[in-house]
Amino acid sequence: MIIVDVTQLVIPQIIKTAIDALKSTPFDSNTLLLKCMFIIFLGLVMAGLRYVWRNLLMGSARDVEKGIRDDLFKHVLNLDMAFLDTIKTGDIMAHAVSDINHIRMAFGFGLIVLVDTILLGGATFAIMLLTHPKLTALAMIPMPFLILVTRTLGKKMYRFHKTAQESFSILTELVRESFFGIRIIKVFNFETIVGQKVRGASTDYFKKNLKRAVITALLRPLLGLFFNLSTLVVIFYGGYLVMEQVLTPGELVAFLQYLGILAWPVIAIGWMTNLFQRGMASLKRINTLLDSTPDVTSPETPHPLSSVKGNIRFKNVGFAYGKGSPVLSDISVDIHPGTSVGITGPPGSGKTSLVQLIPRLYNTTKGTIYLDGLDLKTLDLDFLRQQVALMPQEAFLFSGTIKENILLGKPLDQKKLDRIINVCNLKETLEEMPDGLETLVGERGITLSGGQKQRVALARTLILEKPIIILDDPISQMDSHTAASVISKLGRMNLNATFIIISHRISALAACDSIFVLKEGRIDHFGTHEALIKTDRFYEHSYRVQQFEEEYDI
Amino acid sequence: MTSEAPREEKEIKLANLKLIKKLWPFIRPYLWMLIVSTLLVFLVTFFELLMPLFTQKAIDGFIVPVKGSGLDLFGIEITSFQTFCLIFCGFILISFVIDFIQTFFMEYTGQKIILNLRCALFAHMTFLPVAFYDINSSGRMVSRVAGDIENMNEMFTSILIFIFKDLLLMIGILVILFTIDHTLTLYLSILIPVIGISVSMSSNILRRAFRTIRQKIAEINHSFSEAITGIKIIQTTSSRDRFMQRFETLNFEHFSAALFQIKIFSIFMPFIGFLGVLSVAIILWTGSSNVIKTTMTLGQLVVFLTYMKLFFRPLRELSEKFNLLQNALASAERIITVLNHDQAKQRVSKERTCIDTISSVTFDQVNFSYERNKRILKDISFHLPEGNAIGIVGQTGSGKSTIINLITGFYQPDHGNIFINHINYHAVNIRDIRNKTALVMQDPVLFSGSIRENIKPSGFDMTDSPLETALYNANCNFLFEKFSGLETVIKEGGRPLSSGEKQLVCIARAFAFNPDLIIFDEATSYMDSQSEQKVHDAMKKLMQGRLSIIIAHRLSTVKECDTIILLREGAIREKGSHQELVELKGEYYHLLKKEQI
Repeated sequence: MIIVDVTQLVIPQIIKTAIDALKSTPFDSNTLLLKCMFIIFLGLVMAGLRYVWRNLLMGSARDVEKGIRDDLFKHVLNLDMAFLDTIKTGDIMAHAVSDINHIRMAFGFGLIVLVDTILLGGATFAIMLLTHPKLTALAMIPMPFLILVTRTLGKKMYRFHKTAQESFSILTELVRESFFGIRIIKVFNFETIVGQKVRGASTDYFKKNLKRAVITALLRPLLGLFFNLSTLVVIFYGGYLVMEQVLTPGELVAFLQYLGILAWPVIAIGWMTNLFQRGMASLKRINTLLDSTPDVTSPETPHPLSSVKGNIRFKNVGFAYGKGSPVLSDISVDIHPGTSVGITGPPGSGKTSLVQLIPRLYNTTKGTIYLDGLDLKTLDLDFLRQQVALMPQEAFLFSGTIKENILLGKPLDQKKLDRIINVCNLKETLEEMPDGLETLVGERGITLSGGQKQRVALARTLILEKPIIILDDPISQMDSHTAASVISKLGRMNLNATFIIISHRISALAACDSIFVLKEGRIDHFGTHEALIKTDRFYEHSYRVQQFEEEYDI
Repeated sequence: MTSEAPREEKEIKLANLKLIKKLWPFIRPYLWMLIVSTLLVFLVTFFELLMPLFTQKAIDGFIVPVKGSGLDLFGIEITSFQTFCLIFCGFILISFVIDFIQTFFMEYTGQKIILNLRCALFAHMTFLPVAFYDINSSGRMVSRVAGDIENMNEMFTSILIFIFKDLLLMIGILVILFTIDHTLTLYLSILIPVIGISVSMSSNILRRAFRTIRQKIAEINHSFSEAITGIKIIQTTSSRDRFMQRFETLNFEHFSAALFQIKIFSIFMPFIGFLGVLSVAIILWTGSSNVIKTTMTLGQLVVFLTYMKLFFRPLRELSEKFNLLQNALASAERIITVLNHDQAKQRVSKERTCIDTISSVTFDQVNFSYERNKRILKDISFHLPEGNAIGIVGQTGSGKSTIINLITGFYQPDHGNIFINHINYHAVNIRDIRNKTALVMQDPVLFSGSIRENIKPSGFDMTDSPLETALYNANCNFLFEKFSGLETVIKEGGRPLSSGEKQLVCIARAFAFNPDLIIFDEATSYMDSQSEQKVHDAMKKLMQGRLSIIIAHRLSTVKECDTIILLREGAIREKGSHQELVELKGEYYHLLKKEQI
């Protein structure tokens, strides 16, 4: 690239000598021809070198883009729930595509332009200075103004770009959410309302973009103005010098030519400022995201633990989402290894929150949770999560085949898979599907019914064979027949693990060693099925209602 | 799992003409602005072209006078070099002002077109059939409305106008060159076909590369969206590395496509640059001999060379823009493809009937399949008369939800007819039906915003009191006790409500709509027995005098319905009241017994 820039500077020199030669007699046409050939040769060299540096620079910009995107994805996978609760999916998507793109532009084009500006501008400036220092100095009069203007406008650009990107994030999230809930939008004729909402967000983005556009629109012509003023000064003063025969006309022409070369770096400064400010604003956004090291982290020196028995103890545990009101308070529970525990309670009583604390999806706000007598916070996070298999309440399926969804990249053990499929009552379901295990399920597994999704999610959890198994409302969407079958098969399966199940259906809990009834974030009652029927009103009522339904049915 | 098979629709390819035709309606309202902008570009270009001319005049008129000092500028005799410079200065200032106005005007126009295009695209998409969303994941679709439109932004701002301007500039320069020296210009014009051929050749290759890039970007969007939604699973199944690996593969594919594009473009651009140098050499050679033969002044040769430089700068910029154009067009193809996608079409018969109430629903031998040769519904017939409730039970996957997809018009039956108020529903506006229908689904869907925004029917100015009543009816007392009632702000994914609470709000939404037809699609699955009982009470109240369809996997939920349909493998096995079906001692009875095990 340096060679290209140097070559570019040599050409006017040759032109200059050629023109000066034209004025002198006798004129040698052979030297001229030689000079022309030389120019062509230089042109070829330039083309070749340009090819190389374009490839290198832009390629490395793409490399940077790839690197940042990989990092961002990795970071997102490591983020804890508490943090993810505070940011929106659409926002992250905007970061991953739009912002990274701006950074790449700054790195690629921006870098090219920067190198070009410094090299070409610097070298040209040096030559000009050598040819005629005074003229050069005069030509540079507008320079300080130019720098001042660029800096002020640059700062504004940075700010406006940041606000514009934030607005873009909001827009992205709004669109994502709308597509996600499209059925509800359609049934309730919400189309126009969301249309208006998106129009509002788009208009906001438009306005913020326009602000930026004013600055951008100002910068380039302003730079052009300064440049033209320089030219004027050179012609004015240089003209006098030629008239006074201090300067040859050829020198003036060459000088003007050099100034002409400077036109590009000057315009480039405008471009570059724009690109860099945008890139910086985006980089700042990405960095804010990447720098967020949430609460849930591994300790620096994790407590070594080779095998887990599965004893879980909650000691005065309290929990709240963010700064909200407490969802759980004063929970103290001791779950013995290998036992089964049922959890039930009205909606919003904190059941899901409680179990999510075990694999440290969230940190406790108060109190401590112990695994085999060790504080969870002293254990390596990856290690801890390798011990816990959690089936979340929403049966989420990734786009891919059913098999992929069950295995999630783990090596296939056909025997184990068959056994799990049998437990989850998936055998018949899969047989009905022409592609069986290879059936594709769309985003959110939309082609499967709720109960089918739950059974796939259950299979995914069970196949892990972890020492601690947590099922959050696993049978809520299954029909009673399937649910009963799955529960009984689960009971017969030798899990060899600490087993925690949340359900509203008493029949799913009845076989558990102990059952907890949660109410408003506290343990209302606990005990065996038989004991709770006598002691807990909610439990007893639920049981009676469900029992009554069944009796009535007959 | 996505990287193994590209699930983004195959390759999107459209002819340029088609693209322009489709984009035209968006450009037309701003045509005058574009024309003004272009006129301003003319002016800017004019000034740009005048600059070297001024230099020439300065050299030939004052600095190295050809015929005495002084010159003729547009008929005005200028004798003083100072005056000349002042005029020059004035020109520079005017050109700055015009340049600024033009740039801003152009940005404004472009952004405005983009704004309208984005809104139109989104509006269009919300009216697309549900089937479209079943095939295309939301993450990918987002990249159309967000990224691809953004990518087209430059097309309406810099690209369109500057391509025009640069072309104009080049033509203008060619004309000026021609007036300076005919033969030299003819030499130059040999270049034009060479440039033309190289442009069209690289255009095809570049477009293909950009198509791949845009498609991969959509995939990346999808990966992020999916990873965030499924984060709990990823983190608790220790499959993080696997997801990371998959993403890296995808990201690498995007990277390779981008590298390919860079490679092509790196050949194209220096080639144009080389042409510039080549022509300088030729002109210098031939021009010099002309100067010697005194058919040309030295000033003329200098100005010719200067203009030639000016000729190649727009050419270089044009090539750079050309790259962006291909990028924008690749995005345009993706947007237009969606815009071309038919909106939820109704096979509308000639006479359209307006209905403002739904009093009955009838299925007459309805057949349906999502995919060919896999029939989901077979010969479904039932009648739901005024004020009645129908319960649909059956194993998961027996086609219960599909019946709802048909009534709400998400899908159209393959065979058979559906009648609303004894009118074939093809003759009824589906919006009329939806206006009078409320749906509560398995997965509670709430949008970010306040509870009020979530449950308030569109197009109605409703005061808070009926909304509050609806909330109380659906046992949403907790909203007033634990949260701030109608003002409670729901965040992404329905936070901070629990799943059961979300479902209660969804039921409240259905109540607020005061529908004629209520559909509960396994709506009570997230509820505990107590809440369920309360909702059942509220449902009973609401069902009076209204039509209702209740889909449930638990028989207890439907036993009070007037008619119960038992579905298996898409066909009706048994139909009748609870009592009748129990007496029949068929499958229903069997299921009842099994449920108690």
